[in-house]
Amino acid sequence: MNRRTFLKISGMGSLSFAAGCSREPEKTLFSMTHTPDDRVTGKANWYASTCRECPAGCGILAKNREGRVVKIEGNPVHPINKGKLCMRGQAALQGVYNPDRLKTPLFKAKNGWQPLSFLKAKTILKNKADEAAQKGSNRVRMLTETIGDSLMGLSSTVLKNLKSHTPMVYEPFAYESLKAANETMFGVNGLISYRMDKADILISFGADFLETWLSPVEYAWKFKAMHSLKEGNKNLSFHISSYQSLTGANADHWLACHPGTEAMVALGLVKEALDIGKGNHLPRFFHELLNKATAPFTRKQVHQRSAIPPALYEKLIVRLMGARNPLVLGTATGASDLNGVQTNLAANILNLLLDPDLLLFDFHNRYSVEMAAKHHDILKFFNTLNAGRADLLLLNNVNPVFTLPSDSGVKEALENSDLFVVSFSNFMDETSETADLILPVQMPLETWDEYGGLKPVVSTLQPAMGKLTNKPHLGDVLLYIGFENDQPTDNYKAYLVSRLAKDHGITNEAQWVQMLQHGGKFNPSVNPVKTPKQFHLKKLESILTQKSKPPKSDLVFAAAPSIRFFDGRGANRPWLCEIPDPLSRIAWQTPAIIHPTTARENSIAQEDVIRIQAKSGALEAPVYLTELVTPGLVVMGIGQGHPSYGRYAEGAGSNPFKLLNAKPDPDSGGTSYTIDQVFIKKTGRTLRLAHTDGSRTQHGRTYALSITLVDLKQPKQPQKRGLTMDDFPVTLPLREGYDPKRDFYSPHDHGNYRWGMVVDLDKCIGCGACSVACYAENNIGIVGVDRIMDGREMAWLSIERFHDPDQMGNITFLPMLCQHCDNAPCEPVCPVYASHHSKEGLNNQIYNRCIGTRFCAQNCPYKVRRFNWFEWKWPEPMDLQLNPNVTVRSKGVMEKCSFCIQRIKTTHDIAKNEKRMIRDGEVKPACVQTCPTDALVFGSLKDKESRVRKLVDDPRAYQVMGYLNTKPAVIYLKKVIHKA
Amino acid sequence: MGNIAALKDKNVLTGNKKPLFLASTLVVTVAVFMYYFYIPPGVDIGPEQPIPFSHRLHAGIKEVQCRFCHPYVSRSISAGIPPVGKCLYCHNFIITKHPQIVTVHRYFNNKTPISWVKVNYLPEHVLFNHQRHIKKEIACRQCHGAVETMDRIKKKQFEMGFCVACHREKKANLDCWLACHS
Repeated sequence: MNRRTFLKISGMGSLSFAAGCSREPEKTLFSMTHTPDDRVTGKANWYASTCRECPAGCGILAKNREGRVVKIEGNPVHPINKGKLCMRGQAALQGVYNPDRLKTPLFKAKNGWQPLSFLKAKTILKNKADEAAQKGSNRVRMLTETIGDSLMGLSSTVLKNLKSHTPMVYEPFAYESLKAANETMFGVNGLISYRMDKADILISFGADFLETWLSPVEYAWKFKAMHSLKEGNKNLSFHISSYQSLTGANADHWLACHPGTEAMVALGLVKEALDIGKGNHLPRFFHELLNKATAPFTRKQVHQRSAIPPALYEKLIVRLMGARNPLVLGTATGASDLNGVQTNLAANILNLLLDPDLLLFDFHNRYSVEMAAKHHDILKFFNTLNAGRADLLLLNNVNPVFTLPSDSGVKEALENSDLFVVSFSNFMDETSETADLILPVQMPLETWDEYGGLKPVVSTLQPAMGKLTNKPHLGDVLLYIGFENDQPTDNYKAYLVSRLAKDHGITNEAQWVQMLQHGGKFNPSVNPVKTPKQFHLKKLESILTQKSKPPKSDLVFAAAPSIRFFDGRGANRPWLCEIPDPLSRIAWQTPAIIHPTTARENSIAQEDVIRIQAKSGALEAPVYLTELVTPGLVVMGIGQGHPSYGRYAEGAGSNPFKLLNAKPDPDSGGTSYTIDQVFIKKTGRTLRLAHTDGSRTQHGRTYALSITLVDLKQPKQPQKRGLTMDDFPVTLPLREGYDPKRDFYSPHDHGNYRWGMVVDLDKCIGCGACSVACYAENNIGIVGVDRIMDGREMAWLSIERFHDPDQMGNITFLPMLCQHCDNAPCEPVCPVYASHHSKEGLNNQIYNRCIGTRFCAQNCPYKVRRFNWFEWKWPEPMDLQLNPNVTVRSKGVMEKCSFCIQRIKTTHDIAKNEKRMIRDGEVKPACVQTCPTDALVFGSLKDKESRVRKLVDDPRAYQVMGYLNTKPAVIYLKKVIHKA
Repeated sequence: MGNIAALKDKNVLTGNKKPLFLASTLVVTVAVFMYYFYIPPGVDIGPEQPIPFSHRLHAGIKEVQCRFCHPYVSRSISAGIPPVGKCLYCHNFIITKHPQIVTVHRYFNNKTPISWVKVNYLPEHVLFNHQRHIKKEIACRQCHGAVETMDRIKKKQFEMGFCVACHREKKANLDCWLACHS
């Protein structure tokens, strides 16, 4: 370069530098015209409402900051979930703030979708409804998800005014076989609830009550109430199924059986009970019938055909027959073939034999998802539509095109040009795509409503946020189309209030406000309903004596309901996609899960893409090998594989619904999620799995430890403490944890508190609710599938899953988060002092000081530090969810768990205002708050009376890799296992 | 030879006159531009607001208490700015016909928020808590200056040293997370 060019370039450079710089952009502050009474800028308001992410209907508290809802937590006074919430409930936020949410109504014209005004859309709808009503009776049909009584009442009235039948309730998980069993046995065509917390042994034939079955949060706390360590003892739970769900992984013993043989085992158990003289209280004819029906299921037969391990079966029989309060649950959410009906029926019979009073059955509190129509009736419904027997179809929050098998004829029915289809969905999903008019309505967090997931509980819904658009309430749309000038009320809210007032004796405003503040009316079940015992003898006999057919082929395919996506409605929430599956630890993808033996037989390796061919279709998926399924079975999680459902769902995973058969079972009216005559073929391609686990086993290191009940009961012998991995003592992150023999540096001086956490591995069920709570609270970025493959996920708290190398079917979950070590390896290596020790023992990470050397992450033995390789995006309006009290980290900065410092500070403020110390249990980090089983406890280790300090003295207490002398402030309690 | 050299020198001088002039003009223009850009005259009086609200008049002459308009200061992390309706507590009765007050009425009647220009602010990674400082009886003016003498609010450049100096002096919390950042 010569002098001239140099001067030219530098001149240009300095000029462009001067021109490119501007003053800081002006920021604006908007003053409202009126401030709402309860609004204090900078302070959160909490509104009680109800979760509508699945039919369980948990109570929630929605945190509102300056008009936008930023976090959802469980409502502590709600009887169903008692202040806890699962990951799907928390992710409801990403439904209302989803960037792909429709903003205006859309009309399907010849040249594509045309946006309309809401008024125009309502007018079109009203004209269509009037036209249809004039043509004759039952020309307007409605298909809805499970809804509250008020909305159901209004819909029925409106449809009646339009000369049509009541709405059809569609739920993909409709529990047909369980309902059939309850009806045959008790004359209750519904879904009763179970007092699982009172049981002393729990047997489940696949019921995935920790994931999707009936009411997962409720059964999570009930399960641990029954299953946790109490006075040195622990109740047993058995899980009998062909693949291990999360529920199976949490049972003490998983009895792997051949697919379709659950009924055999259940009937075998009935036989064992009868053989030892149980059931003498039953009528003789019934007794004889049972004897006859179960005669073939001797132990030998059961072992041979189901392949469950004989020793465990013996143990199951002994423990079950000797139990005082046994509870036997039926099949998984989607098993409604003959095997499913028989299993559920046998489970009911077993309960009746072993506990004649059925004390653990709650016939009074029943799940309202029981209103869902049977699969059989849904198919009939679409057939009538196909035959042109309706003109207008209203769809409320259902996606049958995705959730029904390809041969069900749904798509053809909806695309029928004589039928005008109106979808009230907020998303362009597979079903909305076939509609003629999409009229998006308010979502549950924005609206007034009422819902009771477990009747007679009634939960209220109230708007927890400002309006993002001027969408109407579905009830208001119905009021508009269903009445002329004789509307019962002006709007749906008034309708709702008057109805609730009538049903629940609300006479004044104060009572109404109180009901809203509580989140509903929770009538305790005071008068236990007498056990109805009405046997449908004929039906019982016909079901029990049928021979269930063994699967016709070597290979069987099963679609498994997913804790993350439910029936697929969660697939557009990025948190749910990003949090890996609890058992496979795979995010964003839907692998085909098979046993290594099956893989060997078909010469398939992990990550090979295989083609699964069934009678009704085929799909391709990468293979994940695991011992958690029985050989000969291909399992695939339900929920992903959406051709159309927004940017997060499209192109991710595959949809196993498409392989199932639409043909319903004659006895239950439901369909089975397990099909035979499946063939798999290698495609020759491979796909890297986006998994977040480094290894499946612990390689002999002390991460996730367990102890047998027998060892725990042994009197504690004083052990000589050394400095090796096995005999290193628990070194508390306090002055007393230091010993000049092994510590060179002096202990830290802490202030009034030294924060710490105790994680009880015996209570952790691995559900991942804590992890999503952490994402929501701490503005953690979503990195997507490619970045996860690079190992760059940002989770501050992840649930590690470890297989037992001797017994790969046994699993331990380990919540892993920053250990806030007292002797933290990350602190001394930071050249800029960005990670340093706080006076309350926290391991601070100062984002604005961090220069991104990543030395700290290298030196952290727990691998909990996350580096921001990119600037993560929150596409509008998803940024409205960001917690204003937590800094959004930018590119080049290291981040990690802060023990929710913002919550500690808020509590400090409250305590300082009241001039007192912080009470034990007053600070609740987001993970601790939401844990359904209370596995996490947080508090100050300096306080001798605190719960964490007392739990540290538990003989099960240990520190993960404590032998590194890091003195972690997260103390784990070993998982307690029963020896096989 | 000497003549030639002198001639050359002269040529150099006359030949360079134009570029020298251009260069010096450029320097002056850039200097003037930078002066007006970075230190514009009048920056001292603070940014212009959509309504020329005077703190000198309200807080100084009329002696309206700070907390009348910023009521959350002792209850929350942020002091809050008054809703438009609050202006009308008084201005429904006082100088109601003043053109600027008419504008305020118009905002109110149309339910339109006023978009004030934010004068004082902290970077995103700092979470200042007003309540804690008010409870410790730190006067507003200690950080915000003599607001009652300013027509427009003048920007205070809050830098970390400003905070830390006071925290040191008063032996307040110096922990990064527990005090300011999160």
